[in-house]
Amino acid sequence: MHDDHGHGHPHHDLDASSPEIRVEALEDLLVEKGLADRARIDATIQRYEHDIGPMIGAELVAEAWADPALASRLLADADGVVAELGIRGAEIQHIEVKANTPGVHNVVVCTLCSCYPWALLGLPPNWYKSPEYRARVVREPRAVLAEMGLELDPSTEVRIWDSSSETRFLVLPERPAGTDGWPVERLAELVTRDSMIGVARAADPAGE
Amino acid sequence: MHPDAGEPNAADPNSVEPNSTWPGVHDLGGAHGWGRVPYESDEPPFHAAWERRVFGLLGAVTAASAQRPGEFRYALERLHPDDYFDHGYYGRWLAGFELLLAEYGVISPDEMASALNRGANRELQHRSSPIGRAAPTFARDPALLPPDVPVPPPQHRGVRRDLAPEPRFAVGDRVAAPAAPQPGHTRLPAYVVDKPGTVVKLHPAEVLPDSTAHDLGERPQHVYCVGYDAQTLWGDNAEPNTSVYVDLYECYLNPTDGAG
Repeated sequence: MHDDHGHGHPHHDLDASSPEIRVEALEDLLVEKGLADRARIDATIQRYEHDIGPMIGAELVAEAWADPALASRLLADADGVVAELGIRGAEIQHIEVKANTPGVHNVVVCTLCSCYPWALLGLPPNWYKSPEYRARVVREPRAVLAEMGLELDPSTEVRIWDSSSETRFLVLPERPAGTDGWPVERLAELVTRDSMIGVARAADPAGE
Repeated sequence: MHPDAGEPNAADPNSVEPNSTWPGVHDLGGAHGWGRVPYESDEPPFHAAWERRVFGLLGAVTAASAQRPGEFRYALERLHPDDYFDHGYYGRWLAGFELLLAEYGVISPDEMASALNRGANRELQHRSSPIGRAAPTFARDPALLPPDVPVPPPQHRGVRRDLAPEPRFAVGDRVAAPAAPQPGHTRLPAYVVDKPGTVVKLHPAEVLPDSTAHDLGERPQHVYCVGYDAQTLWGDNAEPNTSVYVDLYECYLNPTDGAG
């Protein structure tokens, strides 16, 4: 059911410029014309709220941490690994994985739009789509990352990947120390979405 | 190849439409004046019920209108800046939906206005629709695009193509992209225009969005990952030890011996 749809509840405080009102009108018209189906709309939303999200990328990263041979293949041919693992979906026509190391830190952006590997990370967060991030992270990445809570050593090389073609990027964060012998499922809990975009490190195992 | 002529024809009225000039408001890389990133760790995918509904309509809207690569993005790029920015990502999607559905004759602005007035108890105030303030599609001159050489149909739905001609550039080559020769959709960010960079990798060949968004054929291109030193892009104010990598279609690029 689309219980959040708002039918039957007049929006006294909203005018016709409000997106709440406009999307309701648009959805009604598309449904009346037989061009949209509310059950399918609901199913799409549900899928991206529950089934497609950063846990898919996190598992891939954790597998790579646990298996250096897989990590090497992921860096050389992410498309092959993704296909092998049966990961399918939107916005992963060509994937490149960039590994963070003690000397190199990678960050992903899309300055022209908000391109993002949906099938691996789900829908992008608002900050990733914000004009502030898109404008500034290519010009002053260290300042932006510091504001977001990630201080990088000046000796660390910063590489920014601007998703201007249909290639999508995923950052392979550094595996935290103190996780030797951890099973993949436990490692995956340390892999945050933000660490796979490159604006954070993987979570601290001590704080798990 | 794009010819070297960089300036659109000023006598062409199509080239001076507000928002139809290149670059547009969406081309944000390196833009000044933007403040702190609205960072929220562990953000949910949606912040409001209406955002969910907009996202859920994407499939239906594109099935009924924009299906070519780049076409939906170009609709967003043609929006008035207020419609682009005011309600965030899903706000611009919604405005883009209205624009495309009107242009494809699926839902007219009048129909939308009636639907908006249909609900009881609504105090509707006049507001120009995003359609009235968006720029029209720029009538691109196909002669300024690379030639459309047919390739075998792909075995998949998607933008990747197998391209017979050898790539013009190799890893290590120095390249630079002049400004796009005419307004319209492009994947060339303004901040790298005329800057020398180095090819670091070839990606799979893709159809050219500059052409498909304008319904001028696929014109598939080799795609290069080009690395730029931050100093080259931003000058002495650049942060040290930083590079920016941008994926660029072959027709954007010329060889250069420029240092940097």
